[in-house]
Amino acid sequence: MPDLLDEICSALADLSGPERIRALINNALSQNIRISDIVEKGLRAGLQQVGARYEAGEYFLAELLFAASILDEVMQFVGPNLDAQATQKKGAILLGTVRGDMHDIGKNIFKMMAVASGFGVQDLDVDVDPELFVQESKRIEPDILGLSCLLTTALPEIKVVIDMLNESKIKNQVKVLIGGNAVTREFAREVGADAAALNAVEGVDFCRSVVKS
Amino acid sequence: MTPRERFRKAINFQPVDAIPWAENFYVETVNRFFSEGLPAHEINVIDWKMEGYTLLNWPAFLGFDPNSYFGCINFFGCVPLIDLGPIPRFKQRKIGETPKYEEFIMESGARSRIVKKGSRETTWYAMPQFYSFPVSDKTTWERYKERLNPEDPRRYPKDWDPDAYSEVMNQYQAGPTVLAMTGFYGFGAELMGIPNFNLAFYKDPELIRDMAAHWEYFTVESIREAVETLTDRIDMVFWWEDMAEKHGPNISPKLYKEFLLPHYKRVTAFLNKNKIHRIMMDSDGNTKPILDLVIEAGITGHWPLEVNSGMDVRTLSKEYGKKLFLVGNLDKREIAKGGQYMRNEIDSKLPTMKETGGYVAGLDHLVHVEFTLQRFKEYADYIKTKLAIE
Repeated sequence: MPDLLDEICSALADLSGPERIRALINNALSQNIRISDIVEKGLRAGLQQVGARYEAGEYFLAELLFAASILDEVMQFVGPNLDAQATQKKGAILLGTVRGDMHDIGKNIFKMMAVASGFGVQDLDVDVDPELFVQESKRIEPDILGLSCLLTTALPEIKVVIDMLNESKIKNQVKVLIGGNAVTREFAREVGADAAALNAVEGVDFCRSVVKS
Repeated sequence: MTPRERFRKAINFQPVDAIPWAENFYVETVNRFFSEGLPAHEINVIDWKMEGYTLLNWPAFLGFDPNSYFGCINFFGCVPLIDLGPIPRFKQRKIGETPKYEEFIMESGARSRIVKKGSRETTWYAMPQFYSFPVSDKTTWERYKERLNPEDPRRYPKDWDPDAYSEVMNQYQAGPTVLAMTGFYGFGAELMGIPNFNLAFYKDPELIRDMAAHWEYFTVESIREAVETLTDRIDMVFWWEDMAEKHGPNISPKLYKEFLLPHYKRVTAFLNKNKIHRIMMDSDGNTKPILDLVIEAGITGHWPLEVNSGMDVRTLSKEYGKKLFLVGNLDKREIAKGGQYMRNEIDSKLPTMKETGGYVAGLDHLVHVEFTLQRFKEYADYIKTKLAIE
C-alpha cells in the first residue's frame, strides 16, 4: 500500500500529468487506501518534493505552476470521495499586496502553492489598505498574515501594517510573513516581520512550520 | 570619441577612452525631479512638427531628455520606428469604474485596473494591474495572430525612406542606434500573462510551438527591410524578455532549449547575416541558469543584471569573457542611499570592468522614484569622475 502512495507522490513530483495520477488514485481507492492518506502522503508529499526540486534549481516557476495545477485538477477529481480529515485545512492564511502596489503575480503563485498544500487562503487582492489587513486579521484570526510587496517604494507599507497590528494588540496572535521582489530577510528583521519568503516555496514552508509548531 | 562610438566600441570589447554610462528614467522619476528643482526648460523636448492632420507645422511637446542634462546615454535615443505591436490596435477605452479604480482595455487587448488619478500621492500607482489577457487558447491565439501580419504597411513610418533615415541616424552620435524588439518569452507573457503562458508549456505545447513559429516569422519579416537596408548602422538590438525572478528563470533550461532556442537562433542568424552582432537581452531577475543557452541562441549582451537577484558583472565577466557584454549592475538600492554607499558600489565594480572591457555602466534597472534629484546628481557627478580609462 505505501508503495502506491509513493508512486502517487513520485508521479506528481515528476510532473507526470493528471491522467496518470488519476489512474493511480483510482487504483489506491480500489485497494481501500484512505483518501486522506492519498491526499497527504501521496499528493501533498509530491508537491513538497516539487518545492524541494525548485529550491535545488532543478525546477523553475513553470514547473511549480504546473504541479499546483495538476494537484488542483486531481483534487477536483477526488472531491466526491474526500473525507473530513482530507478537507480539513492545515491552517488559515490571510494574504494581500500592500497599499501602493498593484502587483499580484508572486502573490497568486504563493496562493496557488498554499492552497494546493492544504491551507485555507483568504486573498484581499492588491493595493490593500493597512486597516483592512488589521480588520480582517481580527475577524478571521488567521495563523499567518502574508504581505506581498514588489515595489521598493511600497515597502514602508509593510511596517505600517505591522505597527497597526501591534497597536491593536494582535501582533502576537498572527505570524507575519512578507514576500515579493522588494523584501529581504534584513528588512523583515528591521520591521518586526516573523519571516521573509524569497519565493513561493519558502513561503509555504514557513506556513507549514507555523502550523506544525 | 562620440558617445555613440564609445558605446559601440565598448559593447564590441574594443578599447575606449572611458566606460560609457547609460541610464533610462521612469517618467515618474523625472516628474519627481521637476518637483525638486530640475529645470524643465532644459529637459523638455519641443520641436516644430507637422502632425499629419493639416499642413500646419506647430511646436509639439515630445517628452523629456534628462540624459543630455545628466550626461548619460539613452538606450532609445535613436530607434528605427518599426511597429511590432498588434495592428490594428485594440481601441483603448474605459470599461468600468469603482470608487478607487478605473478599468481599461489596453491597446494590447489586455484588461487592467488603474488607480484613479489624483486619488493618491504615490505616482507609482500609475502602474496598472493586468487581470485579463487577450490570448488564452488556440482559438483566441488564431484570432490575435491576424493582428500580427508583418506585411502590413503600417508597420513602417509614413515617411519611411531608408536613405533618409540612414542620413538622420548618421547625424545621431549621442548614443547607439538601437533596434528594439520583444523576445518570444516576453511576447507570450504579454499576450497570456506569466502564469498562463508558463503553464501552457506543459498543458498546451502545440500552442506554444505555433506561437513561437509565428513570433519568429513575424519578427524577421517585420524588421527585414530596416535590417537589410540599415545593416550595421544599427549598433545594437534591444531584446526585451523579462523572463526571470529572483530565484531563477521562469522557464527551465530544458523548456528554453526545446521551445525557444531554435527560433532564437534563426532570428539572430538573420541579424548576423546583416552585420548586426550585438544583441542585448533585457531581463530582470536571476538568469544565470539559462545564460549558456542564451549565448547559444546568439544573444551577446545582457542588461540590467539585478544585484538583488544575485547578478554580478565581476563574476559574469570572468565566466563568460567576450561572449557577453554587460550593462548595468550598479545596485540601485545602494546608489539611491547616496554618500559612501553609492561610492562603494561604484568603486567595487568599475575598476574590474575597466580591465575586462565589454561593459556599459548604469543602474541595475531604470532610475526609479526613490531617487531624489539631489541623490541622482550626486551619483552622476561621482560616476563621471570614475569612467575615464587612463
